[in-house]
Amino acid sequence: MEREFAVKAKGVIKSYDNSHALDGIDLEVRSGQVLGLIGPNGAGKSTFLQAVLGLLNTEGELEVLGLDPRKERHKLLQKVCSITDVAVLPKWMTVEQVLQYVDGVHPRFSLEKAKSILSKTDIKNHSKIKTLSRGLVVQLHLSIVMAIDAELLVLDEPTLGLDLVYRKEFYSQLIEDYYDGNKTILISTHQVEEIEGVLSDAIFMNQGRIVMKDSIDAINERFLELRPNQESLERARSLNPMHIRTELGREVFLFEGTEIDKLNGLGEVRPPFIADLFMAIMDKTKSEVQE
Amino acid sequence: MNILAALIRRELQEHKVGFIYAPFIVTCVLSLVIISVYFGLTDIQTAEFNFTTKIYENEQALEWMATADIRQITAVMRSGLVVLALPILLTIAFAILAFNLSTFADERKDRTLIFWRSLPVSDLTTVMSKILLVTLILPLIVLPNIILLHLISLLSASIFFATNDIVPFGWVWSAYSFTDWFRIIFSLWAQSLWSLPLTAWLMFAGAFAKRPIMGALVPIAVVVVLEGIVLKTNYIFTFIEDRLGFWTRASSFPKQSEELRVVDVSDIYLMISTQDFWIGMALSTFLIAGIVYFRSRNNDYSSE
Repeated sequence: MEREFAVKAKGVIKSYDNSHALDGIDLEVRSGQVLGLIGPNGAGKSTFLQAVLGLLNTEGELEVLGLDPRKERHKLLQKVCSITDVAVLPKWMTVEQVLQYVDGVHPRFSLEKAKSILSKTDIKNHSKIKTLSRGLVVQLHLSIVMAIDAELLVLDEPTLGLDLVYRKEFYSQLIEDYYDGNKTILISTHQVEEIEGVLSDAIFMNQGRIVMKDSIDAINERFLELRPNQESLERARSLNPMHIRTELGREVFLFEGTEIDKLNGLGEVRPPFIADLFMAIMDKTKSEVQE
Repeated sequence: MNILAALIRRELQEHKVGFIYAPFIVTCVLSLVIISVYFGLTDIQTAEFNFTTKIYENEQALEWMATADIRQITAVMRSGLVVLALPILLTIAFAILAFNLSTFADERKDRTLIFWRSLPVSDLTTVMSKILLVTLILPLIVLPNIILLHLISLLSASIFFATNDIVPFGWVWSAYSFTDWFRIIFSLWAQSLWSLPLTAWLMFAGAFAKRPIMGALVPIAVVVVLEGIVLKTNYIFTFIEDRLGFWTRASSFPKQSEELRVVDVSDIYLMISTQDFWIGMALSTFLIAGIVYFRSRNNDYSSE
């Protein structure tokens, strides 16, 4: 039977010395979603992903693939894969050795599939991991993960420190060769613009809280960005935009829940980039707090 | 079972220099020394230890060889072979010491811990794989080296005796007990179990302390000193001292200690029957639980 939700969190809290790294997270991630966790440093993205992987004890209710990650971590990891920016593959191992090891410990790993994926890369089986560039190590890690028949993939800043070519390759490989519509993927990254086309849903986090969550389709319907013509500036302003920013000396208006017909004719209208929307929401939240 | 095999294979791959190459190199060096001595190229004479063919110029020695019964020859030969194998045992002991201290500290330091823990292997299974490696597998890896050394020693001696018309070629072989191979492996396993509290303590120090050497030494020093001051006893010091040495020579071992001998398998029953052994096992269990606890809490990964 297919599971409706891959992750269910209710009132999840993680405290460190009187500060909340997670401050009451309520979230339901449907199976098959590709969810982006977007937020500044300290927003709680990594902490939440660690909790999902059962690496942290948290308060509140948390269920991942029907299991309690704190108590059933070992069972959970048979169905969950992860890549984090700090997960280091052992440098002393050869590629062949690390593949053999994963094959020995993971019941859902296909050695043949991993080798087939690697055969399309520059990574050689006999190479020692310490001789590979950071880009190739991440590619190797992704190849291992892609050869595991997991239900949930957790990616925490997986491409941090990689150059543009490897970053693009990583996400295109992930979506074209890995994502099949049934797998659920949670991605946290600072390079929001690079994963925008990959996401089905996004949550914005700040100071341990979720400040917004929605599907990308719903976001695109709900928010519109207008670059008004010089003569339509006042008219645009009168429509009460939620946020105004300046880009190369030109004002850009962000509208929430405004019909597209009202904006057409005032300038260039299109859905906002996730990064711009995030900044706008952060500014809005900040000014609301100040008020 | 497959998971344990994969974990142990991984450890052997990582520590192949200490666990496989080093004992084998020492075996090769010792073999060369033995061959050189029997072929008259060198001899070793120290205050404690003589290894030279010059003793066969002695009439008394030759007479003893001609008249001794097989049990006497076996006993003498065993003593010699035990001494010859000591450098191999010391080498693996140092490799184990370094492994115990570093295995949980290194994975935390180089952050490979996050990769290992991203795979479906429980902390208990990982810890037990390391304990099994040290107690069960490494003796099995050391054994072929000791056997090789024995065979090279016997062959060199046989050739020397036969070519010098001292005794026939088969004289040595008839006195050699091939069942000693079993005695050796059981003795090594017994040693591993006897020293398990030390193994577990060193691993525990690596799991909880930023500086494992300090973490291993300081608490022990404090407890030993406190015991001496408060209780006026030195039980803990003796406990540690015993665990550092051969199990048959421990103060609690209920049999007269002999300088050099190959143990009987029945000696293992004697060891198991001591209270000290079970105190060690209980302490080891407690420490293993502590290692699992600390390893599961080492989640200092965060990109934020």
